[in-house]
Amino acid sequence: MSLNPENIVEIKGLVKRFDDRAVLDGIDLEIPAGKTTVIMGGSGCGKSTLLRHIIGLLKPTEGEIWIDGENVAGMKEKDMNRVRRKFGMLFQGSALFNSMTVGDNVALPLREHTDLPNEIIRIIVKVKLELVGLTGFESFMPYQISGGMKKRVALARAIALDPKMVFYDEPGAGLDPITASMIDQLIHDLSRKLKITSVVVTHEMKSAFRIADKVVILHKGKVLEVGTAHEIQNSKNPYVQQFIKGEPEGAIPFYQTSDAYLKGLLET
Amino acid sequence: MRDFFGKIGETSAFLFAGVGRLFDLFASVVRVVVSAFYQKKVIKSEHVFHQMVLMGVDSLAIICLVGSSVGMVLALQAAYQLKLFGAVIYTGSLVSVSMARELGPLIAAIVITGRVGARMAAELGTMTVQEEVDALTTMGLNPIRYLVVPRCIALMVMLPCLTVVADVMGMLGGFLIGTIGVHINPYLYLAKNFDALVLKDIYTGLSKSGIFALLIALVSCHQGLSVEGGAEGVGKATTQAVVISIILIIVVDCLATAVFYYAIPT
Repeated sequence: MSLNPENIVEIKGLVKRFDDRAVLDGIDLEIPAGKTTVIMGGSGCGKSTLLRHIIGLLKPTEGEIWIDGENVAGMKEKDMNRVRRKFGMLFQGSALFNSMTVGDNVALPLREHTDLPNEIIRIIVKVKLELVGLTGFESFMPYQISGGMKKRVALARAIALDPKMVFYDEPGAGLDPITASMIDQLIHDLSRKLKITSVVVTHEMKSAFRIADKVVILHKGKVLEVGTAHEIQNSKNPYVQQFIKGEPEGAIPFYQTSDAYLKGLLET
Repeated sequence: MRDFFGKIGETSAFLFAGVGRLFDLFASVVRVVVSAFYQKKVIKSEHVFHQMVLMGVDSLAIICLVGSSVGMVLALQAAYQLKLFGAVIYTGSLVSVSMARELGPLIAAIVITGRVGARMAAELGTMTVQEEVDALTTMGLNPIRYLVVPRCIALMVMLPCLTVVADVMGMLGGFLIGTIGVHINPYLYLAKNFDALVLKDIYTGLSKSGIFALLIALVSCHQGLSVEGGAEGVGKATTQAVVISIILIIVVDCLATAVFYYAIPT
């Protein structure tokens, strides 16, 4: 199985079934190295599930997931942990460890995965926090800082080990528009300054088009459309148009047709 | 009738699946502990010591209180019955033997289940719900190594220690009631207290408490890590952890006593 060296992640025929329900239904996807790829789609289209497969929290029913030249589908946990050191992940709810200070949170991957002395780790933590604009917050506890700051600390933690790529799960969720755009700016800066591959899962249009080099639209567990932000905005696909304009009626109907409604009522 | 047997089948399948998952977790814990012998930085001592303080040192007061109360009750009840046979002086023997063999380990384990088991389940459950456990996994840190193993080791060290405290406090409670309440000569009470005790009483009690500690830690961590669905899930897991731990403690106590006193020749 050859892999295009320009792609850091390649997914081939990924299928995931929970019981009999296929959440991911044959996904083929390429994520180019050093670029920002945004995965979009409505709620329940499988975008978070796709991300959880890439980072190895879920195992696929079928298909292959190639990360940096290695197929991680069906990989042993020990080998997977080695692959995991190549990426960082920003969770939707930040997932900071509440019993540790901000500084300890950022230092954790360094303490666990390297033999660096404490003084060096302290310096790295300082640098990482500075990158996300939180100089001097080392001794704060996570509950003492705001949601946006938590996201930034989580980002500092995700890049603590200088990963090749960072995954973001809904980075703007639950934040005010200004904070959300600050996070977007940060994602953009990180990929530009540190040459990190970014994969962002979101359903927020504005933020997606602001940062994306490549946009992937998922619908019902399948890839619906792939292209640059510009190509997606000018897509002819009615689903894509309805999605990016955020209209309740369109290719995906809000109301059922009267026949379908009647049929649904009489079933049971 | 069919429903009835169906229900029985369903419940036992559920039960066996639960026991199976517990053994799975146990096997993973053993693997981590074994790998700690030939790899460095697998188990960090500061994590274990931190848990030991939280579990053991902080539980000392409540164990003293409960242990001495149980000893006193035991002495009161024993003296009342033994008086009928004119054997009140054996109160001390009865208290010391029953504390060391059964009540010390059992009471300490049950108090610790409520105090530490519930805490573990709720803590790990909240961490699971808030994706902290997933975050650990994505950082390449095995949650079993990082969260479960330090708790198991800490509890397996601390519960036997707390059991010794409960034993001693129980005997002390018995001594107070025996001497002040029932007016037994203090020297006689102490003599009877220690005459009846043999080494086997102590070590069977302590080995039982070691097993209880492992059960509490495994059940509580397992419940915590398998939480689904927010605050309600955490509440359910906490209750389940306490209920399952207490049931298992009593069942295993029964089995262990049978093995120690009937299967193994003295």
